[in-house]
Amino acid sequence: MTQQSRQQQPTQQQPIALVVGASRGIGRATAIEMAAHGYRVVGWYRSDAAADAEVARQIADDGGWYQGRRTDITDQQQVREGLSDLRRTDGSLQAVIVSAGITRDGLAGTMSLEAFTGVLQTNLVGSFLVARGALRAMRKHGGSIVLMSSTSGIRGQAGQTNYAASKGGVIAMTQALAKEAAPLGIRVNSLAPGFVDTDMFRAMDPRTRASVTDHIPLGRVGRPAEIARAARFLAGPDSSYITGQTLVIDGGMTS
Amino acid sequence: MPSQPQLDAATRRFELNTSLRSLLLSGLDLPDDPEHVDFDEPLFGRGLELDSLDTLEIVSILEEEFGVLVSDEDRTIFGSINKLADVIEAEQQ
Repeated sequence: MTQQSRQQQPTQQQPIALVVGASRGIGRATAIEMAAHGYRVVGWYRSDAAADAEVARQIADDGGWYQGRRTDITDQQQVREGLSDLRRTDGSLQAVIVSAGITRDGLAGTMSLEAFTGVLQTNLVGSFLVARGALRAMRKHGGSIVLMSSTSGIRGQAGQTNYAASKGGVIAMTQALAKEAAPLGIRVNSLAPGFVDTDMFRAMDPRTRASVTDHIPLGRVGRPAEIARAARFLAGPDSSYITGQTLVIDGGMTS
Repeated sequence: MPSQPQLDAATRRFELNTSLRSLLLSGLDLPDDPEHVDFDEPLFGRGLELDSLDTLEIVSILEEEFGVLVSDEDRTIFGSINKLADVIEAEQQ
């Protein structure tokens, strides 16, 4: 199912950015950021069509081009179909930004296997499936892939063995993919946000949420727009000599 | 004397092989004259001398042009144009 919003007709000169997880949080901010900087944005969302429609409206109000598509990135057939649809979109796919991610926090000793593998399936396997498709889609003309890690993938937190494993895996996968993709002119990098003001953060335990800023030198949590600007930097030509890297955006927390 | 269905199948196979050859040569930017590329010529090593990076192009062509999904785990399918055509025909039946 697709929803489309456009204020201007797409031209072949405009690059396309695929933003996975575009309906909420960092993905939403990234879709808006990319559209504001001249990309035609194709946004994938898992289930919240209403939220996607709101993203479409905001981008249209700002004069940008956006097309939403319901796609479950843990389903490789849906990923293939989504990329097949992308090939029929006017323009050239230049950037793929994967912002989808889930948490199912719990102590390792009592965590179900399904809670562990489910998080890996979305955060790591889903990222792989999208990246694999992106390599094929951009193999002729190059481009940039930006994956989403987390500071939890650098310094795991208690209660997040599944999330930490998935986000640590994204960092290592970024390095491996970057080496493979370089001969194709495709750069691969990842972002590692710390605490960011999103639904995921607001769903945390209130006591934990209240205390996080004690450990952040800048004294506040990040804003989705700040992560989005970093995503646009890694996705675009200003980072042309950067690949295989993970950019930490955490207000100094892990420094 | 072959039957009409056999002749039709042979014609379809020839057209498939010819299409595959054209797609591979253009997709891989190879200068070879299509007429000089045999359908049984090895794609890797001696023959067209493709490398591992070219595997991505072959896999992509099979998916995008023929809707056939393969990975690089079965190396034998990349042996020649005929071997690729075998995979495509098997998937399309």
